[in-house]
Amino acid sequence: MNNDNIIGANAATNPAAPDYTANSAANDPLDFDDDPLSATGVSRKSLVIFFLIDTSGSMKGKKMGELNTVMEELIPEIRKVGEADTEVKVAVLTFSTDVRWMYSTPIPIEEFEWARLRASGVTSLGAALKELNVRMSRNGFLNSPSLSFAPVIFLMTDGYPSDDYKAGLKELQANSWYKFGLKAALGIGNEANDNILAEFTGSPDTVVHAYSGGQLAQMIKIIAVTSSQIGSKSMTLSDDTSHELGEEDVFAAKQKLLGQQIQELVGKTETDDVPFDTGW
Amino acid sequence: MTELEIGQEVELEFGGKAQVLSVIGSGGQGTVYLVRFNGQKWALKWYDIDKMKKPKEFLKNLRSNIADGPPDNKFLWPKYLTKETEDGTFGYIMDLKPEGFDSFVDILNTYKLEVDPLTGRAVKKDVKFSSLTAMITAVINIVNSFRLLHRAGKSYQDLNDGGFFINVNTGAVLVCDCDNIAPDGSNFGIGGKPGYMAPEVVRGIAQPNVQTDKYSLAVVLFKLLFRGDPMEGEKVVRDVCLTESSELKHYGQNAIFVYDPNDATNRPVRGIHDNVIKFWRIYPDYIKEAFIRSFTIGITDPTKRIIENEWQKLFIRLRSEIIMCGCGRTNFASMFVQPTEKTFKCPKCGMEFSTLGFSNRSYRMPLYLGCKFYECEMNPESEEFMKVAGELVENKLKPGVLGIKNCSDRKWRAKMPDGVFYDIAPGKGFPVWQGLEIDFGEIKAQI
Repeated sequence: MNNDNIIGANAATNPAAPDYTANSAANDPLDFDDDPLSATGVSRKSLVIFFLIDTSGSMKGKKMGELNTVMEELIPEIRKVGEADTEVKVAVLTFSTDVRWMYSTPIPIEEFEWARLRASGVTSLGAALKELNVRMSRNGFLNSPSLSFAPVIFLMTDGYPSDDYKAGLKELQANSWYKFGLKAALGIGNEANDNILAEFTGSPDTVVHAYSGGQLAQMIKIIAVTSSQIGSKSMTLSDDTSHELGEEDVFAAKQKLLGQQIQELVGKTETDDVPFDTGW
Repeated sequence: MTELEIGQEVELEFGGKAQVLSVIGSGGQGTVYLVRFNGQKWALKWYDIDKMKKPKEFLKNLRSNIADGPPDNKFLWPKYLTKETEDGTFGYIMDLKPEGFDSFVDILNTYKLEVDPLTGRAVKKDVKFSSLTAMITAVINIVNSFRLLHRAGKSYQDLNDGGFFINVNTGAVLVCDCDNIAPDGSNFGIGGKPGYMAPEVVRGIAQPNVQTDKYSLAVVLFKLLFRGDPMEGEKVVRDVCLTESSELKHYGQNAIFVYDPNDATNRPVRGIHDNVIKFWRIYPDYIKEAFIRSFTIGITDPTKRIIENEWQKLFIRLRSEIIMCGCGRTNFASMFVQPTEKTFKCPKCGMEFSTLGFSNRSYRMPLYLGCKFYECEMNPESEEFMKVAGELVENKLKPGVLGIKNCSDRKWRAKMPDGVFYDIAPGKGFPVWQGLEIDFGEIKAQI
């Protein structure tokens, strides 16, 4: 075919126009799939939710049973959270004597299936934080070619770390994904130390505590759903529109919002727990 | 009382009770339920007033919107308010989305998830426009609905991909989430959805208004046609992790259009933005230029943004330049070969198409079997862009003879090979021939 004849009307009528095409050669309408209706989905942003779960011996029994059940139920709820423009993936790291990933790579929420966990061993939180630091990188679990939101990192534990958690945390704190990530933690039962958890999340607002089975289920849902909602969306307009926003106004805005919302929701459930005959 | 229970009854302001049947979905401001009221099914939006900045003013605005009524039937408008509860919670009911409409979000994703009622598993189902005409018609409908809204002195405020339902077979559009619509200049706390918000709103120096709606409208149109984000290119992708400050930068302080002719720092990236790269080659220059203006000078100067009427004219032109070739290739005229000023040729099968030139416009309309003329194209006073006024058809009694049928309710005149103009009454037609001239009244056309 003679190339001169099939120059597109674009190029023929407007030779002086700037070259908008990716291909700087003549705009030959037949050298690519030119069907205006065939498109792939709009490229989505990705969000990885990391669950760090204590599976030490002390979690055995009711706590583990409750946790497994609520996590199974939670997955479909998080599925609804992932909006059209965000692809949500889940990675689960368990720690007891050893640290172990539930799956070798983050799994899209549509396909994720919860593998029931068992409890035994000690609480190697430090090792878990180190492992998280290694995987939380472009070469590790955060390798999506398109844009990513900062990850959500949710830690659940019921005991005092049996290893040097400070060393692990120090390594993790140097990781930028951790720095920008949304961090929340849940202490389970009397042994868990909220101060250590606040060291992990960076503020006491994003730490909650569950003392009973019912509370455990509630708190896991509150934290997981709220943090994935906030994490999978872009920043929203600030309350104060009287001045131009600067970087300092928006820095860690999502983490602050997460703290506020968790505290609000936890506050609500606490008042709901008051028996009908008290507080008069 | 932020959440309603299934089976619970909610009293409406003007009497009657709506019973909650199920949850339809939830958003930033509240939850939408399926309810029964007066024996019919409706949607009930129930607000979480704790999440609202100005619930009282919001309610007042909602009430006046209900009183004003929708600007046009393309809006799923609030119908009746519920009675306020003791703690000030309220909601409203509206019509349910009719069958056959898909959400804009599903169109952008190219699929939707349908849950199999037996297994509970979600199955992917394709969501795609069935024709190019349907897609461009949807664009015209979107633009037109915002034109009507703005004419009524109101702004939509949080225009985004969640705001529309579209029929992919006809291009019909329904605008939903109409509860933030407010008189231009007022705002009751909504900011908008990032990526769709005008840069001045992202930066915190303006509140949503008619001008910021225009920016968001350009984003919606760009996403629908180019299937990508107008501001997401190399510069943004290099950031890898989208933090709050990088969003402020890329969508506010330093937003750069991916095809800014004077700034190549944010071009689309192959492998990530393939849609945008492909479609930028397909659309004709006048469409691309409108987007360039919206996203370059229109970023800093809101008054330079394309007005709805201008978009409407551009897309009515684009619809008239679609060619459906007999070989199955459908595309815009700009993607066909133009052997002479007055003809187009299919680069695939070689078929040639004549064109009609009109007395009131500079571009020519290609003619092919099945192409339609709309009322607004034949009659300068008409704004009816959906009403078919004429169609190119094959004569039922003389197979192989093509002609134009008058589907309008006015008389036309057409010149026949004998040089005489004949009256063409509504319902009648005339053959297309090389010296054809048509007199539509004020507008004249010729081959």
